[in-house]
Amino acid sequence: MPLPQDSSQPRLASGCRWTGEGDKRMLLFPEGVLKLKGTGHAILERCDGQRTFRQIVDELQGLYSASEPEKVRNDVGGFLERLQQKRVVDF
Amino acid sequence: MLPGPLALIAEITHRCPLHCVYCSNPLQMAALCSELATEEWVGVYQQAAKLGVLHLHLTGGEPLARTDLTQLVDAAHAAGLYTNLITSGIGLSEHRLTALVRAGLDHVQLSFQDSRESSADWIAGTRAHALKVELAPMIRRSGVAFTINMVVHRQNLDRLEEMIALAESLHPDRLEIAHVQYYGWAFKNRDALLPTRKQVNDSLRIVAVAQERLAGRIHIEAVVPDYYARYPKACMGGWGRQQLIIDPAGKALPCHAAGVIPGLQFHTVREHSLEWIWRESDAFQKFRGEQWMPEPCRSCDRRAMDFGGCRCQAFLVAGDAASTDPACSLAPKHVLIEEVVARVNASSGSADHSPQVGEKINSLWSYRPQPGQ
Ligand code: SF4
Ligand code: SF4
Repeated sequence: MPLPQDSSQPRLASGCRWTGEGDKRMLLFPEGVLKLKGTGHAILERCDGQRTFRQIVDELQGLYSASEPEKVRNDVGGFLERLQQKRVVDF
Repeated sequence: MLPGPLALIAEITHRCPLHCVYCSNPLQMAALCSELATEEWVGVYQQAAKLGVLHLHLTGGEPLARTDLTQLVDAAHAAGLYTNLITSGIGLSEHRLTALVRAGLDHVQLSFQDSRESSADWIAGTRAHALKVELAPMIRRSGVAFTINMVVHRQNLDRLEEMIALAESLHPDRLEIAHVQYYGWAFKNRDALLPTRKQVNDSLRIVAVAQERLAGRIHIEAVVPDYYARYPKACMGGWGRQQLIIDPAGKALPCHAAGVIPGLQFHTVREHSLEWIWRESDAFQKFRGEQWMPEPCRSCDRRAMDFGGCRCQAFLVAGDAASTDPACSLAPKHVLIEEVVARVNASSGSADHSPQVGEKINSLWSYRPQPGQ
């Protein structure tokens, strides 16, 4: 499967949703739950079907300015691709 | 402190319009008059959420046979649970689905018996296949997560590619290729259902090819059936460790088939709180952790991975619930599984019948009746 395109707008897949607040924030999906911290959480919270992949990468770059842009892009893309294969994210 | 359960499997009724020959319901089913009332289930969901349960699996029987299903989903959703409906589809209309989704339903898992109508209806003992195919687009449109569950065994495994193609045409998010597990009615019908080694090996290749081809569209889940695996499955994620089952009459069980184990007393949510049942009841403590384990499990490196396998299978096959699961190749009683496997592989293998609904081919198997029949 290809990585997301700059213009794709990642969103949570059908039947995947957030629950809880703060420390207890989790993503529920049919066969389990993701308790994410740090980068993973920052990426998924931005998968709102509005922001483009490019915007998400830019915002992440802003949060982690010490990392190389190419690396941030690959990491975010790879992470979204894995979650798409689990049918948690669509893009 | 003992962690609470993460998932509650609520068998809200044993009534079902189908009669699948592999049904995991117990041979002694709970009758309609013993079923928990709406408000009793609602209380159970609220207690479950407080105990830490995240996922509710509404199953049966056929959950749609309960006329209060929408109310149950509504209450579960209000309690904060993620709700899964595990269904044959019979009893689902567009109107009912809309109401369920509005009440907060998150996920529908629709089961199929085969890719071909005649064989599917033969397995189910009733006409159901065509209706399921019709329902799929409606479920897909409704916005919930959609899983197709294909139950496989010797009588249909030769059509696995065709079954995957059928699933693909219905656009689910997930496809579960579920080998029959030999409890309940399936144990009774084991000799007609257990696949051959060749079928199992072919199916692994077919699944791997489909997984690659459908990656990103349909997530395919499939496990090697335990009769052919080297080590047993981590049944229920460990006894009294992550999940519990409540039967239609409110009896709490650590495993679907636990009712067959002699000497265990199971309590109902009518008499006790869910918390007490989970933490204190003898039945849930009996095989929790590692204290109960015999050798070779006690000193085996895999004991934290598979928890010694399934207690019900140990009882059903080896006659001792506290022994190593005989599906494990290290088990002293593994020969009992090897014998069944050898017998099945020596016999003629799969049959390609054009059977009639309800026809019992030379009494090949027993259909599951309705509770109380
Ligand atoms: S396995 Fe078949 S008979 Fe048993 S509950 Fe499910 S649909 Fe009904
Ligand atoms: S001996 Fe026991 S713990 Fe080890 S693999 Fe077999 S069942 Fe699992």
